[in-house]
Amino acid sequence: MRPFIQFESVSKAFGSVTVVNALDLAIEKGEFVSLLGPSGSGKTTILMMLAGFERPTQGAIYLDGKRIDHLPPYRRQMGVVFQNYALFPHMSVAENVAFPLEMQRVPRAEIAERVERALDMVKLKHLKDRRPSQLSGGQQQRIALTRALVFEPSVILMDEPLGALDKQLREHMQLEIRELHKRLGLTIVFVTHDQSEALTMSDRIAVFNAGRIEQIDDPQVIYDTPRTRFVAEFIGETNLIEAKVASVDNHVAHLSLGAGLSARAHAGNGLSAGQTASFSLRPERIRLGAAPEGSNALDMTIADCIYHGDHMRVQLTHDDFSLVARCERLAGNWTIGASVVASFDPSDCTVLTQ
Amino acid sequence: MFRALQITFGIAIVIFLLMPIFAILPLAFTSSVFLNYPIPAYSMRWMHELTTADVWRTSIVNSLIIGSGATVLATVLGTLASLGMRKGALPMVSLLRTLFLLPMVVPAVVLGVGMQIFLVRLGLASTYLGVTIAHSVLCIPFVIVSVSAALQGIDPSIERAASSLGAPPVTVFRRVTLPLAIPGVVSGAIFAFATSLDEVVLTLFVAGPNQRTLARQMFSSIRENINPTVAAAALLLIIGTLCLGGLAALLRWRQKRSALMTAPSAI
Amino acid sequence: MKAAILRERSGALLLVSPVLVFMAVFFLWPLWAMVTAAFVDDAVSKVLPRTAASIVSWDGQGIPSEAAHKALVQDLRVATDEQALGEAVRRLNSAASGFRTLLGRTIPAVKAASDPAQVDLLTVDPRWKDTRFWVALKEAMPPYTDRNILAAVDMKRDGSGSIVLEGADASAHRLIMLRTLLVAAMVTIACAVIGLPYAMLAASLTGWKRSVLLLAVVLPLWTSLLVRTAAWFILLQNEGLINGALQAIGLINSPLPLIFNRLGVVIAMTHVLLPFMVLPIYSVILGIPGNLMSAAQSMGAGPVRAFWRVLLPLSLPGILSGSLLVFMVAIGYYITPALLGGANDQMISSVIAFYATGTANWGLAGALGLILLVVTTVLYTIYGRFSTSPQVPGA
Ligand SMILES: Nc1ncnc2c1ncn2[C@@H]1O[C@H](COP(=O)(O)OP(=O)(O)OP(=O)(O)O)[C@@H](O)[C@H]1O
Ligand SMILES: [Mg+2]
Repeated sequence: MRPFIQFESVSKAFGSVTVVNALDLAIEKGEFVSLLGPSGSGKTTILMMLAGFERPTQGAIYLDGKRIDHLPPYRRQMGVVFQNYALFPHMSVAENVAFPLEMQRVPRAEIAERVERALDMVKLKHLKDRRPSQLSGGQQQRIALTRALVFEPSVILMDEPLGALDKQLREHMQLEIRELHKRLGLTIVFVTHDQSEALTMSDRIAVFNAGRIEQIDDPQVIYDTPRTRFVAEFIGETNLIEAKVASVDNHVAHLSLGAGLSARAHAGNGLSAGQTASFSLRPERIRLGAAPEGSNALDMTIADCIYHGDHMRVQLTHDDFSLVARCERLAGNWTIGASVVASFDPSDCTVLTQ
Repeated sequence: MFRALQITFGIAIVIFLLMPIFAILPLAFTSSVFLNYPIPAYSMRWMHELTTADVWRTSIVNSLIIGSGATVLATVLGTLASLGMRKGALPMVSLLRTLFLLPMVVPAVVLGVGMQIFLVRLGLASTYLGVTIAHSVLCIPFVIVSVSAALQGIDPSIERAASSLGAPPVTVFRRVTLPLAIPGVVSGAIFAFATSLDEVVLTLFVAGPNQRTLARQMFSSIRENINPTVAAAALLLIIGTLCLGGLAALLRWRQKRSALMTAPSAI
Repeated sequence: MKAAILRERSGALLLVSPVLVFMAVFFLWPLWAMVTAAFVDDAVSKVLPRTAASIVSWDGQGIPSEAAHKALVQDLRVATDEQALGEAVRRLNSAASGFRTLLGRTIPAVKAASDPAQVDLLTVDPRWKDTRFWVALKEAMPPYTDRNILAAVDMKRDGSGSIVLEGADASAHRLIMLRTLLVAAMVTIACAVIGLPYAMLAASLTGWKRSVLLLAVVLPLWTSLLVRTAAWFILLQNEGLINGALQAIGLINSPLPLIFNRLGVVIAMTHVLLPFMVLPIYSVILGIPGNLMSAAQSMGAGPVRAFWRVLLPLSLPGILSGSLLVFMVAIGYYITPALLGGANDQMISSVIAFYATGTANWGLAGALGLILLVVTTVLYTIYGRFSTSPQVPGA
């Protein structure tokens, strides 16, 4: 049994430039999957292949068990929300929403009723006779969403749909979309390059880099145990530690960090003594105190301390080894130049494969 | 001092630019047979002459016939070409575009000589069809410029949206592309009509006495025996072109607004 | 993949092809017809093909052999296309005067004879003994000629076939071309001298003042060219507004000659072409950061120096493309010189029109037209090279 949506070693090249490289991706029905990655990593291209505006150079795409990569967009039954909304400027809001229903030859009376219902759902029924130009950005966004939902497509595709909204409205719309997803049981593929958006909204996140998936997992796994250096750096902030593995026993690796420091880390598969590896340690997992707590404790000096309102970022050094820690406030009389002990759990220090 | 000089200069040039147009208009209503100021008395004599004298009346009718023909021909052909050149699917599109705009550049007399020789060979010289075709050649560039600009203003994602919502290509064209391009088509047609209305040189070469247009009639009237009917005709032309120009400006303004309204930031 | 591109391409081609065909037939072909009219000279050889074949071997001394006579008789007997025959006679008569009457006698005699073999040209008309006519006949036979293009630049071939200058009295095409360039240059300079400060002024103003200045440029563009020319006719004539005003304030006693001379042509053409100068300069100046002049002045440059060293060099592209545009349109101008100029102000377009419509000498009209076309094309190519947004003339 195939997954609901499946990319099977799909490649896409524009001329001699390969933009998507042997992509395998499976999405289940009712899932909210975000495609996250830096600009130019091929997110839009993947979405456009799914919607039918681009054809894969190689590979196959399946929807609900049927191969669809040869179908034109208008036969794929996918609701697409574009970054700039792409509302029809010459039609009223109601006409915009009615358009997909007309295309499906839904009877006239039923169209009116369904449009009404759909607009009611996003609380914009009172705007139905306006032109798109007479709406605010957030209202246009909601109409675009309604138009993509109204014909009950099997999948909703969104390409940075919230990119043009200001921060407050964006957060509001994130909640609204998330809520619609839950209520209607929609399958959503959502492109963004905003990591916090991906983290808050998705069931799973696929992190892209240069046309390949670096990691695909649920948000918490992505954040807590990034598998690659790229993912660790792209999502959130992290301390990248290059260390030599002194010994491995019982899934615990003993590391020598240089400058005479040593620590213990959770060892993944294939880690062996004598090898050098990269590790990721999130700043907020570091606890600062006068005395060691837990199994890892490093003697550090406070090099700098930056106030961020709700938290502080503390720059720690020990000779040429340095760390960034994040804590709510500094206790005691620690000032720049003071000595502290930085403690963390071995399970928070995760090994990166590259 | 410098400022005063600047302002004087500006006013002088504005007068230089506008005075001729405004100077000719009142003479349409002179009662004298001379195109002179001061106007002795006002009368509708020459307006009457313009609308009743055979040469003038037929020339107005001819202008309308040939202008409409050329407008229809140029608008249809030019719109099709603009649609074809739009997506860049054709190789050497810029070469084609240059070719289509060339009639604006080639001196009218040169084209006139060629047209005359060619239409005589085809047996189309001194026919309505011949003159209409000759005018269309001059009108097509204006239509292409205008329609291409309108098409360029259409956000491609709007058409993609329509297609993703289940509209096959023909429907996308009929329901989305065409309605959004219509203002450009109409203003192209207006440009085409105004061009045909004002065309003299080609007409001189390819039209016979039966196809004399208003502009052609004005030309020979100025050349042979100028009288205030010319001013009356000028008034008619100015009012006509100003109406057309106003219409085109209105359309362009609306188009700009609709281009703005597809931009998400416009609230 | 390939099929999709192919389908899209053929769809586009289908849309473009009507215009392509239309333009090829009704734009390129006429231009080609004009060019060939200048070089093709087959009026005689088309009507007298046998004569053409047999006269080639004649050395031009005395009169040709009996065979050529027979061929001519044969050709004349079967020539039934009156119009083509008339063309041929006209062509021959222009090469050797008297040919018309000679053929006028010969043709009926030849057609009336019962046996063509019995016809002797020398007895039909003794003028056939004159070498002059036979030479003209031989020289009219080659289907292509450089006669027209040479005549267009006041040159011809002499008896021995080498190219020589036409006598000073014969024709004045070079003079007219020179005059065309001169008038176009005068108009271009006038437009630049007025247009640059005007564009600068418009760019320095804001609000309604700027709108008025720009409207004054655009409104004439929208007005019929003929209306503008008629208006200048009215203003410039001896009893016109300008002379009337000058006389009324006592500046002059008798009217100034403003019309049917060079001055009138230049004034009216400057008026018509000024927008093509102002608009490119204006758009270039708008692109210059406004604080540049103040910056230059703050560094110690006086306003004049700031203008010379900063504003002028930066607006040069606009001036250059405006000038090219004005010059290019001006050299092809017809209506204004034809209506407001005197006999000595006619430009090359008027001469072309004269040959084409006045004397039906399409060969010469074509040759002059070709020269104008080539010059215009060269100017347009230069213009297209360094003007980023090719603005096209509407006149
Ligand atoms: N039609 C095209 N022709 C050629 N190259 C293209 C085309 N479309 C996209 N590309 C290239 O493919 C790469 C991926 O583009 P894509 O739009 O998928 O990136 P993206 O991840 O969506 O980036 P962004 O976050 O900036 O939207 C880019 O380098 C882009 O230049
Ligand atoms: Mg993108």
